[in-house]
Amino acid sequence: MSDMSENRPGWGLTATAFTVVAFLQLPVIVVVLAAFSTTSYLTIPPQGLTLAWFGKVLSDPSYLSAIRMSLILACGSTLISLVLGVAAACALFRKVLPGSEAVTSFLMAPLVMPAVVVGVALLQFYSMTGLRGSLVGLLLAHVVITVPYVVRSALASLSGLDLAVEEAARVLGASGFEAFRLVTLPLIAPGLVAGGLFSFITSLDNVPVTIFLISASQTTLPVLIFSSVEMGIDPSVAAVSTLLILATGIVLLIAERRFGFHRFV
Amino acid sequence: MMSRRQGLLLVAPLLLVLAGFFLVPVLMLLPTSFGVYEPGAGLVKGAWSLKNYTQIVTDDYYREVIWRTLGLGFSVTLICLLLGYPLAYLIARGPERWRVPLILLVIFPMLLNLVVRSFGWIALLANRGLINNLLMQLGLIAAPVKLLFNFVGLFIGLTHIYLPFMVLMLVAAIRNVPRDVESAAATLGSSRAHVFMAVTLPLSAPGILAGSILVFVLTISALVTPRMLGGPTYQVMATLIYDEYMQLLDWPSGSALSFALTFMAVAIIWLSSRLTRRWAGMA
Repeated sequence: MSDMSENRPGWGLTATAFTVVAFLQLPVIVVVLAAFSTTSYLTIPPQGLTLAWFGKVLSDPSYLSAIRMSLILACGSTLISLVLGVAAACALFRKVLPGSEAVTSFLMAPLVMPAVVVGVALLQFYSMTGLRGSLVGLLLAHVVITVPYVVRSALASLSGLDLAVEEAARVLGASGFEAFRLVTLPLIAPGLVAGGLFSFITSLDNVPVTIFLISASQTTLPVLIFSSVEMGIDPSVAAVSTLLILATGIVLLIAERRFGFHRFV
Repeated sequence: MMSRRQGLLLVAPLLLVLAGFFLVPVLMLLPTSFGVYEPGAGLVKGAWSLKNYTQIVTDDYYREVIWRTLGLGFSVTLICLLLGYPLAYLIARGPERWRVPLILLVIFPMLLNLVVRSFGWIALLANRGLINNLLMQLGLIAAPVKLLFNFVGLFIGLTHIYLPFMVLMLVAAIRNVPRDVESAAATLGSSRAHVFMAVTLPLSAPGILAGSILVFVLTISALVTPRMLGGPTYQVMATLIYDEYMQLLDWPSGSALSFALTFMAVAIIWLSSRLTRRWAGMA
């Protein structure tokens, strides 16, 4: 009995689990090593250290404009998704509308649909309406693929909420919006940060929808990496990837420190 | 209290965006999928045909691509389950102080850009990649083994990409198994292996199913990793759709294939939700 609750896992289980964790980090380590290596392909041990590839990336206007475009899209679509998604979740959670559950499933539908199908559907639609290559078109496409994450985390946060506190604020004279802003919003904020972070990362990561919609002159960072790999590998791809790895790692650590991010996954 | 009118005002903007930029565009693919494409001339006006759908089941090349996609789906799901369960078990039942670091090491690659992870696998699996270099230095092989642009490459890459999803689903499922039941079985004289086989594994079955469905659907829908590791020659359904739209410009047959892929994904999800409901009814 006592050794059950002691949780001493067997060494076989521990070794397997740690091997799997190592497997998960393997490509990450390789990319970072490649970014600092002088040869264009990787050897063990790496032959020579250099920062030249980072310099190349940071002085290359096509990388810089792709990074800017990716950040604009990720920030813009996350902001729009948060506003639209939280508003919708507030109404859906109270079930004031008939068919609230059907509406919720519809809002989640873009997650079920293969992304490449959403991509080709929007490609045809934008070609007909002249939105192809426009920033508005791209932003709305990213809202479609990111908003389910926001709605899901907003609904989850709201369901853990005691509605009485908002009612109390109303009784004390707050308007509906004031009660939301001063009482509800602070309470659901950690969940929304997690949902917003997922939305931001989803937008920043997206290739299968974006690649059908961008114009020839303005691409995003993942699409640029994707197409430069098709052309043939260049270590500057490893350098820009390393920058992304660094950024992701820092964001994850900050989110974990401040909000206990792992609870929201 | 919120009135029905206020509720509608809150939901309407998002519903309009999704109707206009998701539902309508997808529905507009439907007429395209019955269209007729003439190479060089484009879409033939006023012509309709079922050929785009029939060729998916009759044409040898399409059939090969579909079987390959499904085969990858099944094998990636199976290996994710086999590799994911021990790790999930350790996170759920192992020492407390390991839990958060291990979960973060699972989440980190999941949050990392997909193209970056796929690029890492190219650096590992290419003919002059790390694995081939290492094996040749050790004298185990004389010439590079082909690990890219074939089943092996896609299998390894996709497993890496979707394993974290499986692990997180399984962690939640294993944590839901009541500790008391496990302890009771142990007190009654079950060996640790028997407790696992008779109690923990069956009680985490709903999580196993949910994780498997998720990984399967994500694998058959994947575009980026199959394209980067499979190149333009080793096609799966998603990369074929991509090529029919961007290279061949045969939108009718690309949209028919899109509906076939969507149908497969939705059918699997629907089937599993029926299965889960039946299980819930038995419990």
